[in-house]
Amino acid sequence: MSYTIPIGPYHPALEEPYKVNVQCGGDTVQAVSVEVGYSFRGIELLAQRTGWVQDLTLIERVCGICSHTHTTTFCRAVETLAEIEVPARAVYIRTAVLELERLHSHLLWVGLASEYIGFQSLFMEAFNLRERVMDLLESISGNRVHYGMNRIGGVNRDITDPDPIVAQLRAMGEIVERDIVPSLTESPTAMSRMRGVGVLTAAQAIEWGVIGPVARASGIATDVRSDLPYGFYPELGFKIVTQTGGDVLARVAVRALEVLESIRLVCAALQDLPPGPIRAFEGMPDIPAGEATAFTEAPRGEAIYYVASDGGATPARVKIRTPSFVNIPALEAMTMGQQFGDVPLIQASVDPCLSCTDR
Amino acid sequence: MTGSDTAALAAIAPSARIEHRRDGVWIIAPDLDVEAMAREMNRLGFRLSTMTGLAQADGETALIYHFVAAGRAVHFKTRTRGGALPSITPILRAGSWIEREVRDFFGVRFPGHPNLAPLLRPAELREGFFRDAAEVPEQLTRARTEPS
Repeated sequence: MSYTIPIGPYHPALEEPYKVNVQCGGDTVQAVSVEVGYSFRGIELLAQRTGWVQDLTLIERVCGICSHTHTTTFCRAVETLAEIEVPARAVYIRTAVLELERLHSHLLWVGLASEYIGFQSLFMEAFNLRERVMDLLESISGNRVHYGMNRIGGVNRDITDPDPIVAQLRAMGEIVERDIVPSLTESPTAMSRMRGVGVLTAAQAIEWGVIGPVARASGIATDVRSDLPYGFYPELGFKIVTQTGGDVLARVAVRALEVLESIRLVCAALQDLPPGPIRAFEGMPDIPAGEATAFTEAPRGEAIYYVASDGGATPARVKIRTPSFVNIPALEAMTMGQQFGDVPLIQASVDPCLSCTDR
Repeated sequence: MTGSDTAALAAIAPSARIEHRRDGVWIIAPDLDVEAMAREMNRLGFRLSTMTGLAQADGETALIYHFVAAGRAVHFKTRTRGGALPSITPILRAGSWIEREVRDFFGVRFPGHPNLAPLLRPAELREGFFRDAAEVPEQLTRARTEPS
């Protein structure tokens, strides 16, 4: 007998407001359809009616987790359009905050994944580490979530004493390497629950066009940091992390190993922080007529902004494409033929962000 | 971008204007055959990143198809004909949600799309409400409340 179970849009099995309609035959998933749009805020429209500077405050609120990614990508698009050269020190600081943001996003997700599989002690360990990253971000920016670091042409705050940050990150890196990574990739508890669950093959990953850790867990070596390098990632020796399993375990492993790579990148950026100004100019220049795009690797994958100007006080168009918008539809492929009871874990393995998706 | 890549891109839209900009290659082709573009970009190993809609004064919509491959970004800019363009979803599955969003925001029709149901549009707003916002913004603006 076949039956359809609606999960969501507000449901304990989902972290975010969206709806997954699961058609089952017995306990086996036969088809899935996803509905989004429950948190639509019209941010693209608002951005076209708000000034260039105010837009930074608005766009930072596209997401409460990758907020700095959004302002960085918006700023980079505007700076490309207006041919503004950002000082090297500002780019390093942006990069360090981007990677700290990835750290706390991945640690948040590791914690949630641990909770989903009933691994409560690892949940607490991951959230404890994430809290320490939030403290570092607060010490740099004055804020825990929306950092207000970016401005068009540079950053608002300098990092004047990087050594304590580097020391703390190194200590955290040791804990991640010693406790978190083996707990997720070698422990029988984690492996038995996640191996072979929610598989997305490499061919399916290409077909659905997924990006970020979801693609890399299926063996697709795609990452904006290496595909369309920006900032100083090439100079910092960025190394892409991939796995081949394509299952939930592989998605966990990619994120856990990326935590280590992000720690290394932040330390490298802060230790090589070049001297000089942190912004190209004071105030805000006129933005000439034109159009430009920018791509940034958010914690969940590629974020793209298109910005057009008609030379006026507000953008003529701001288009925002977030990674979850691309990855969520692939749930259809990941859940097909799986056990119904695994659907919450599989959907969580995409790390879906509806705040980003709906905008 | 290698010479052979550029030649392959130019062959997709022979009458197009090709511009090499700081953010990649831009191919401006108002009469672009989008299905041929989708097939060729798929063959060349490009991933459809997204599409951007831009409302035009004559009621049509300019559409930019953003493609990405390692080290390369290519942006095709074209425009709707009679408010429609063929769907590329049957060729590139990733186009499905993207075309549904463009339909919600700009009212563009994509013949050939398997399920052009609303994706993000709130039920109380009509299709193409981004266009309304540009042309008659007061319809989407609540009365301003001043602090007393």
